[in-house]
Amino acid sequence: MLNSWKLKEIVLMSLFGVVFGIVYLLFIHLGNIWAGLIGPIAYEWMFGIWFIVSIICMHIIRKPGAAVMPETMAAVIEVMLGNAVGPRLILSGIVQGLGAEAAFAVTRYRHFNLFVFMLAGIGAAVFSFIYGFFVSGYAALDPSFVALMFTLRVLSGAIIAGIGGKYIGDALLATGSLRGYAIARSKTGDASA
Amino acid sequence: MQVPETIFAMNDVSFRFPDDSHQTLSSVTFSINRGERVAISGPSGSGKSTLLYLLNRLYPMNCDGIVKGEIELFGKASELYAPGEINKRVATVFQDPDAQFCMPTVEEELAFTLENMRTPAKEIEKRIDRVLESTGLTHLKYVNIQTLSGGMKQRVATACALVMEPEVLLLDEPISHLDPLTAKEFISWLDLLQRRFGLTVIAVEHRLDSWGAFFDREIAIDRAGNIAEDREFIPHETLHYPARIKSVSDEDSLSAEGLSVTIKDRTLLLPLSFTSKKGECIVIAGPNGSGKSTLVKALCGILKKDSGTVSAHACGYVPQSPEFLFLTPSVSREIAFSGTSSAQELEELMESLRLAEIAEHNPFAVSHGQKRRVAIGAMLADKRNILFLDEPTSGQDQRALLELFHLIEERLISGDTVFIVTHDMEFAASVADSVLLLKEGHLSGMFPAEQIWEETDLLAEHNLLPPKGVMQLAESPA
Amino acid sequence: MRNLLHDMNPAIKFVMVTVVMLGLAFFFNPWTPLLFFFGVICLQLFFSRMDWKIWSLFMLPFTLGAFGYLWTTIVFGAETEGTVIWSLFGFEVTDEQWAVALSLAFRVLAFSSLSLLFALTTDPVRFVMSLMQQLKLSPKIAYGVLVGYQFLPVLKDEFFQIQQAHRLRGAATEKYWWQRLLGIRRVIIPMLAGAVRKAERSAFAMEARGFTGEARTEFYRPVRAGRLDMVMSLVIVALFVGSCVFGVYLSG
Ligand SMILES: Nc1ncnc2c1ncn2[C@@H]1O[C@H](COP(=O)(O)OP(=O)(O)OP(=O)(O)O)[C@@H](O)[C@H]1O
Ligand SMILES: Nc1ncnc2c1ncn2[C@@H]1O[C@H](COP(=O)(O)OP(=O)(O)OP(=O)(O)O)[C@@H](O)[C@H]1O
Ligand SMILES: [Mg+2]
Ligand SMILES: [Mg+2]
Repeated sequence: MLNSWKLKEIVLMSLFGVVFGIVYLLFIHLGNIWAGLIGPIAYEWMFGIWFIVSIICMHIIRKPGAAVMPETMAAVIEVMLGNAVGPRLILSGIVQGLGAEAAFAVTRYRHFNLFVFMLAGIGAAVFSFIYGFFVSGYAALDPSFVALMFTLRVLSGAIIAGIGGKYIGDALLATGSLRGYAIARSKTGDASA
Repeated sequence: MQVPETIFAMNDVSFRFPDDSHQTLSSVTFSINRGERVAISGPSGSGKSTLLYLLNRLYPMNCDGIVKGEIELFGKASELYAPGEINKRVATVFQDPDAQFCMPTVEEELAFTLENMRTPAKEIEKRIDRVLESTGLTHLKYVNIQTLSGGMKQRVATACALVMEPEVLLLDEPISHLDPLTAKEFISWLDLLQRRFGLTVIAVEHRLDSWGAFFDREIAIDRAGNIAEDREFIPHETLHYPARIKSVSDEDSLSAEGLSVTIKDRTLLLPLSFTSKKGECIVIAGPNGSGKSTLVKALCGILKKDSGTVSAHACGYVPQSPEFLFLTPSVSREIAFSGTSSAQELEELMESLRLAEIAEHNPFAVSHGQKRRVAIGAMLADKRNILFLDEPTSGQDQRALLELFHLIEERLISGDTVFIVTHDMEFAASVADSVLLLKEGHLSGMFPAEQIWEETDLLAEHNLLPPKGVMQLAESPA
Repeated sequence: MRNLLHDMNPAIKFVMVTVVMLGLAFFFNPWTPLLFFFGVICLQLFFSRMDWKIWSLFMLPFTLGAFGYLWTTIVFGAETEGTVIWSLFGFEVTDEQWAVALSLAFRVLAFSSLSLLFALTTDPVRFVMSLMQQLKLSPKIAYGVLVGYQFLPVLKDEFFQIQQAHRLRGAATEKYWWQRLLGIRRVIIPMLAGAVRKAERSAFAMEARGFTGEARTEFYRPVRAGRLDMVMSLVIVALFVGSCVFGVYLSG
């Protein structure tokens, strides 16, 4: 898989990881204060933010792995920044990335439209929820409350990551800086590559 | 006498980017011998960098470009080289001092290069020390690269290139961010290295006049990507700017009193005071890292000042990367963003800045010169009559420089005040009414432009050189 | 002694920390995570030169988060058996529910302290190098990450510069937090456009220095793994097993 990747694509994912690493940390900041007040559900509605880099990078690069990799790299960089969520972020990064990747794999990396991006956001939400269910012990919570958390997370994944990711990718395409990447070659942002 | 050995040969080479319809380079033919010093010149966008990247094999792989014709490197067709193979013999220094390192410290960066070359671990340390000594950078061995000034970064990049002990050195506008004295030192240092190691040097450059007689040969490329000329190098004359009509009025436009800036306990600007007039053009000059950008940002209120006052209401700021300012997806909306000007005024403004033809383009997607005009337009539409331009001259070709000159002149005539940060002394001499000299965060003074260019010592203290055209300018009739 | 955690091989430390964390997720009694939490603090006391001021600063928000977990589990906990020990505002809390709630809250503390143990004793660059040397991470990815890491201060500066430049343009400083969140999108686009350009240039610079992404054979500063790592891993495992056994015993 790695051989089909250009170094510039990998570095691009890494730098996007840094940019979103900064944004993610801003949000963790915001979320923590909330979480103290209203519990872990505080994070749910904005969980989609944490999936967005997968979708943006896949939108731009359109190769197998372009969803898992940036998410993982963003997580590694966040760990390098030394925050207290720590090494397990890498694991959750991989899990979230795999969730998004699954949606693109199911559509065989042929279609890159809003529907698939929302699907990817949902995929990331589902995977990360299963992982969270285990690690954070959601099993101890009331099933209806868990269902509420799950619904919020899926919605957030579809809307913030899916729609938001496509919006940012398209806006970036319009700036003309993506010459030389798959997204620019498929002229219209929606057409299958 | 030895028979010269040909190391690079291009035979009728054309190059096209996959998403372009036209050729970026077309029927390029030349050959370069070992030990030559070749300059590649040409207007912006003519394909100079592209040509360089064909020689170090970054293209066509990295952009999926389409090459026609034959490229021979060291007597072997370029397609036959394995990835990375040629880069062990050909080293490159790029234009952007900020984006060419991947490790935190100088030592690690050099080690990274040597590891790529599969140098045995035992030898790495020796090689690093040797190259640092021969390039005079030993004191920087353990320094974090991102804390260095642009000039120093560029020298570190060159050391990284030399540590590979290459046969060829490719340079892509290596001095465009350096202050004049540092640039001059860089060139004489390169001259020394070339003699010592017998390198072949190929450099892309807009400002060949700064290079004196360094080169042996010049290959000029034209707008269409053809070789326009391939001749023996003759030192370039500096660009002649038209004489400017003075437009300074008596009315004050901005005055700073005891302005100082401190960030994270580091004093970046010591208290300074000065006054500017309407219609005056003030050039801010000084060494890399002396606080020029900091001063500009503090004056227009982007940086918090530590003490002092600035009396000015409407300051417009055009950063080195004008795209930092852009907020909307089209030029016309960008200009109209604040809603301060009427539709009539906007239209006139767009017309005078030649933005009407790109009104519906995305401001990020237009050329660099146009971006700057959009940013200036946006500032003027907000009724900001004091403009700050941070390094508008770097990396610009002659046409763009003249265009910038006229644009500034027009603003001055209509009574605006323009502050320009630049390392280009010729440009400075042609536009400035006065010059602010900065050094290590300290304002040495505000000098009238007519007298400053003769004070060689004062200029040298600020890493500046007298403009080469100053004598001609003084003699030419106004 | 006090440099042992710092000297430990980062990749091995990373694996140990992750494995132990996953292991902890199987325990729903309050004692195990609590014992583990104190154990980690002891480890840090003996084997590291921890800056406790920074440690507390980082821990603080997670203590808040732990509190959130506590009451969420109490209020929204799954129905359980057990005797009601107290009730508040009509919520009846059984002893089992209380135990699980405490367990989840302590788990947050245990995770955070373990993460901090890793974060505050590990040099980020050495960590990536060791992922490459010990865990066979592809050099393309490893160096890609390092480039990103060393751009961090540059990009952070840019983030604020763009924000300030926008403010100068009169892009109104928004009143509400959600407007401010939406406002981030304006900063993101120029940032990303710049990142694309920087990425291409850095990648070119790396390739021009002969980087091909092949696995390397020679390392200037090899990151080694040895006996010390065995010992430290055993210490961490012992702490984990100890907390599990005693935790189950105490709550059993
Ligand atoms: N990846 C790309 N895809 C498509 N077109 C490109 C790409 N990179 C550059 N171009 C275009 O190819 C032309 C030549 O670019 P190049 O960078 O070689 O010019 P240059 O002579 O080095 O200009 P400058 O002096 O501004 O650096 C330009 O018109 C540029 O817009
Ligand atoms: N946000 C900041 N925090 C700390 N130091 C800073 C900051 N911004 C700039 N500096 C430092 O302030 C000094 C002056 O920087 P400034 O960018 O103003 O220099 P300059 O004169 O514009 O240089 P150049 O010609 O290279 O653009 C430098 O040493 C720089 O490292
Ligand atoms: Mg160029
Ligand atoms: Mg500057």
